[in-house]
Amino acid sequence: MSQLRKDLISGRWVIIASERSKRPDDFRGAGEARTETADSFCPFCAGNESKTPPEVYALRREGTQPDQDGWSVRVVPNKFPALDRGEKTQRRQEGIFESMSGVGVHEVVIETPDHGLELSDVPLPHLRDVLETVRSRIISIEQEKQYQYVQVFKNKGRAAGASLSHPHSQIIATPIIPKRIKEELYSAERLFKKYQGCIFCRIIGQEMGLRQRIVYSDRHFCVLAPFASRFPFEMQVFPLRHSAHLADMTPEETESLAATLKSVLSKIKGLLSDPPYNLVLHQAPNPSLVQGDWPGMSKDYHWHMEIMPVLARVAGFELGTGFYINPVPPEAAAGFLLG
Amino acid sequence: MKKILVVEDEKALSLLYKEELTEEGYKVTAVLDAEAALEALAKERFDLIITDIRMPGKNGIDLVTRVLSRQPDIPIIINTAYQSYKNDFKTWAADAYIVKSSSLEELKAKIKELIEKPHVPTQKRPD
Repeated sequence: MSQLRKDLISGRWVIIASERSKRPDDFRGAGEARTETADSFCPFCAGNESKTPPEVYALRREGTQPDQDGWSVRVVPNKFPALDRGEKTQRRQEGIFESMSGVGVHEVVIETPDHGLELSDVPLPHLRDVLETVRSRIISIEQEKQYQYVQVFKNKGRAAGASLSHPHSQIIATPIIPKRIKEELYSAERLFKKYQGCIFCRIIGQEMGLRQRIVYSDRHFCVLAPFASRFPFEMQVFPLRHSAHLADMTPEETESLAATLKSVLSKIKGLLSDPPYNLVLHQAPNPSLVQGDWPGMSKDYHWHMEIMPVLARVAGFELGTGFYINPVPPEAAAGFLLG
Repeated sequence: MKKILVVEDEKALSLLYKEELTEEGYKVTAVLDAEAALEALAKERFDLIITDIRMPGKNGIDLVTRVLSRQPDIPIIINTAYQSYKNDFKTWAADAYIVKSSSLEELKAKIKELIEKPHVPTQKRPD
């Protein structure tokens, strides 16, 4: 029988449709073929640095110059940005409508100079360097107080929204807190009061005890298939130590996150035939704002990542109702990924 | 005289670009699709390419990446009616992205800037 499950944080109900269930094995071979041909020019590849805007950050071999070959991770601003860096934005009222100037930061983290090397396949120290780069950029951007929220995400594969297969992730900072994040923050605040503690810590504790939906865990991180997963093989990556900001990670935790992501992304690639996926960071807003206007935030909220393999299409029912139907129960997904 | 290749499927617009840019002192070749552009490039060397994105057959972004894989230093301007293609990182291979407008001033200024820019060769990685 199908089951309706409620996601505690968003309040969203999901139909776990076990009677129309697909076996996890049914998703083998769901990966997409690469569409780029060998004669396609890639602006992210080593040697083509002149095709990107000047780098804002790079890890590079000693003796090499900025915007030249010799880097291992490189961050560049968007060449054709939709949002421009700028001063604090002013809200304008036009009758009943409200608008503001489009200021923001949009950077691309080029994760490796090698076009064909995926994040799951890079050596562990390199993956740690990518995470350390992202952490460093978040800290730097958050020093500009006009940016209330820094979003980090990775789209892999065309069906997940990536236009280029060269491994990269993106950082977008906005002058407002996005609606979805705000709802999550309010919910975390409300649930903190109800449960007398961080709701995410409580979920982690329960899941680690039950071990039905845990996909991976080590000393510092755990990965679980959420109780009310919207999509087949949806996963959440949580630090075990309570923290609201990714930038608070210690070097040891960064090492551990690298190992965690490598393990999980390799499982997705190997067991699900390299499907497209989205990886999204959820963290508290800019700490300077939190300290001033939202003092409880660092206690209420717990940063995490969401990994969503693109294995099924969101169709009319989901779009029309906001009600997701997931044909793979998260317990089955976790069991399959554990092997 | 500097030579420009215009790739634009809308005939009226193609003619307009040809006339305006010829008046600016450039030698202009106009073609209607990407395949014709590749043929023209195989026969002749151009100093700059202006290409639309949405065209019958191969689109302008694919044309840009194909051209640069053979001729990495040629300046290219993407000229489209759509802002949304900025989300496609393959457009970064081009030197400029100009949204079509009734005034050609922005386009002309960018052509001048790119054609007169000192030539910076794209690095080649050692094998």
